[in-house]
Amino acid sequence: MPAPNSLILATAEHLSRFAPFDSMAREHLIWLAERLKLAYYGKNEVLLSPEHGDVKRLYIIKQGAVQVEQGDSGNAWLELHEGESFPLGALLGGRVAISTFTALTDVFTYELSADEFRELLRLSPVFQDFCTRRIAALLERSQRSVQARYAATTAEQQSLRSPLSSIARRKPVTCRPETPLREALDTIQENRISAIVVVEDGDRPVGVFSVRDLISRVILPATDLATPMREVMTPNPVSLPSNAHAFEAAMLMARHGFRHVLVADGGRLTGVISEKDLFSLQRVGVTQISATLRSAMDLDTLVRASEDIRQLGHNMMAQGVAAEQLTQILSTLNDLLTQRVIELECSATKDCRYAFCWLAFGSEGRLEQTLSTDQDNGLIFTVPEGETPDQVRACLLPLAERINRALDACGFPLCKGEIMAMNPKWCLSLDEWKTCFARWIDSGDPESLLNASIFFDFRPLLGQEKLAEELQTWLLAKTVATPRFLHQMAANALRNRPPLGLVRDFVVDGEGDQANTLDLKLNGTTPFVDAARVFALATGVAATGTAPRLRGAAPKLNIPESEVEAWLSSFFFIQMLRLNGQHEEMQAGKAMDNRIDPEELNDLDRRILKESFRQARKVQARLALDYKV
Amino acid sequence: MGLFDRLFGRRVQLEPDLAGQLEAWRGRAEADLSADFDATRYVVVDVETTGLDLARDRLIAIGACAVENGEVVMADSFEIVLRQDRISAKDNILIHGIGGEAQREGLEPAEALLRFLDFLGKSPLVAFHVTFDQTMIKRAVKEYLGFEFKHPWVDLAYVMPGLLPQFAKRYRALDDWSNYFEISNFARHSALADALATAQLFLCALPLARDKQSSCYRNLQDLEKAQRWINWTG
Repeated sequence: MPAPNSLILATAEHLSRFAPFDSMAREHLIWLAERLKLAYYGKNEVLLSPEHGDVKRLYIIKQGAVQVEQGDSGNAWLELHEGESFPLGALLGGRVAISTFTALTDVFTYELSADEFRELLRLSPVFQDFCTRRIAALLERSQRSVQARYAATTAEQQSLRSPLSSIARRKPVTCRPETPLREALDTIQENRISAIVVVEDGDRPVGVFSVRDLISRVILPATDLATPMREVMTPNPVSLPSNAHAFEAAMLMARHGFRHVLVADGGRLTGVISEKDLFSLQRVGVTQISATLRSAMDLDTLVRASEDIRQLGHNMMAQGVAAEQLTQILSTLNDLLTQRVIELECSATKDCRYAFCWLAFGSEGRLEQTLSTDQDNGLIFTVPEGETPDQVRACLLPLAERINRALDACGFPLCKGEIMAMNPKWCLSLDEWKTCFARWIDSGDPESLLNASIFFDFRPLLGQEKLAEELQTWLLAKTVATPRFLHQMAANALRNRPPLGLVRDFVVDGEGDQANTLDLKLNGTTPFVDAARVFALATGVAATGTAPRLRGAAPKLNIPESEVEAWLSSFFFIQMLRLNGQHEEMQAGKAMDNRIDPEELNDLDRRILKESFRQARKVQARLALDYKV
Repeated sequence: MGLFDRLFGRRVQLEPDLAGQLEAWRGRAEADLSADFDATRYVVVDVETTGLDLARDRLIAIGACAVENGEVVMADSFEIVLRQDRISAKDNILIHGIGGEAQREGLEPAEALLRFLDFLGKSPLVAFHVTFDQTMIKRAVKEYLGFEFKHPWVDLAYVMPGLLPQFAKRYRALDDWSNYFEISNFARHSALADALATAQLFLCALPLARDKQSSCYRNLQDLEKAQRWINWTG
């Protein structure tokens, strides 16, 4: 092959300004540049859509902006710009594109045929890494297992892959350590910012102060506004270099709960990234849907919104949003939806004079809903003087049934186990719930333990939340005081062992279509969920989510934080694989379940899954130790 | 070249293998100018010269890229520097960036031109301000290969105003149209980079032409003729 001409070299050079091309070997970049075609799309022209059939090319934007829409809904959720490639997921899966890609401006794209795309995957490990598990390189660079949760994502969208330099557009607003608090607050106010960076020697960051610190550090302690910033700032701020990728900032934020991350090169401040900068894309979708939900006046609107929620979930999957956030966002929107369904049904009911509270159980109660989820709910109510629970129930059951059926219409299938508010068994007064819970705790038979694992994850959704809180307080007092029950719960949880094999990586089961698969819910996430429940019930932690439960209970049980975080990253990694699997099943038009064939995972994901199962066993070992099972 | 040669042309004696290449090129089938855009390979060309004097300045470099199926095929691109006996002036070098050494180390002109012809085949040519590129290439071919280079050309400097008449008055240069379509140029005044920018402009022209029921090269030539007529009368 002759030496590449200046056009090929310039193309390679252009590409090398963007991930993943920036870290690809030069020979592979040249190889790529030599195979590209340059195409033009006029404004509003569709580059690619599901109707185009199997994706035949990789598109890399040379210049211009491309808008991505969900299917053909006309609902734009993403903009792609220079250097971004699409549709990776569809190309890897050899399927049609999920989204419609439309030119927002005049657009020129470099295009690579699907065959050559696959060839490049084989040639370039960097490219392969980027396409199959975009965060893997990082995971390997750093052993911190918290990052595992991001590793399974294959995504179309690469905003989280952008270098921070391209996101931190605003010039950081700064003050000095000796600046009086009042002056710094004035600056914050004038600039309408949420945080100010404290710098020394011109631009060396030494601290951060955010408006969120106001209450705890200024208002409540009645701090004198003449106090120098040095005394109120958060010292030793965390910073990342400007060539770090956005997801590294996202991870720092997710890991530590920061809202801001500084961008600094060689100790010199160059920018500030806020959470909003990183998640603005997703937020748009979330805000729009929640606004629709809040203002919905009929079931039809809610049904459509429920479809949007599911679509958003899939989009966020494709964007590589972490499992923890994704499940929380989904649960939050599903909460809103359920609340609106209840409000609409209640207002349609002439006289609903009884105070009640709608309860969510199971994964909904834990804020851990995946893309496929059925109903688990119930009612708790008060009984007015002179009336019986049965009278109240008789009045509430028809309402509950309408709500359950409306939720069914919104894509939450009726619960096969009939754990629903319309079931008289789960439409109870506060006292009846207490009696019921007490019976389970005291008897400890298998059915009671099973029920406890579903119902004890309850969370109030709408109505008299005090009723739920009272039940929660009562329950924790009862479980903390009943070690026998906790022991039985622990023993029950330990019956379900993570499927690690001695010879092969995994023990698989299933038959027929499901041969050689394993159940990520039953064998993967359940051990963590079950253990977290026992720990929380034992230590009186009121949270229902697996992560808050473990984080809340760990100090009381002297479990090191690092250990808990390792469990949680494993838990979220498996959650991510579940979501991924459901996402792919939906794309393929198959029924969503929780099974995967470990052989179909890439090497790294298999390795991390294996490690995650090992962590699940560690949780169980801890449980076994604590309860001598 | 003496005045005599200049006026009457001279017989060029090519090395046998070069002569063979030239014969082979001349024998290739002509392109069908009525074929649909998508069924034809076009070559977009740009040249660098020692100056802007059509009569005196010499051809230094040719850059070209192929458009096929309405796309620029990146690998199907071409650039060559013709060996210069006399290095062009410094201010000229500053424009195209082909330094003295590169000019001296260029390919022997006859061979360079034959390579260009080989790349070109009989694909119709596209350029911006054709007269310049055409004259320069024609003269060089005549001088070094000894024949009249007659080849179909289309000039985007006329085609674009014909397609977007609302900008005809304001937009004259390649840069004007590049700005309009936000076409970036990786190295302005490098022959290949300018050829690519021109090729991108050509891609932009194709759907606009289709909107006007033009679907082949000949339609573009007609549009160009009409536009020249408008300019001449206007």
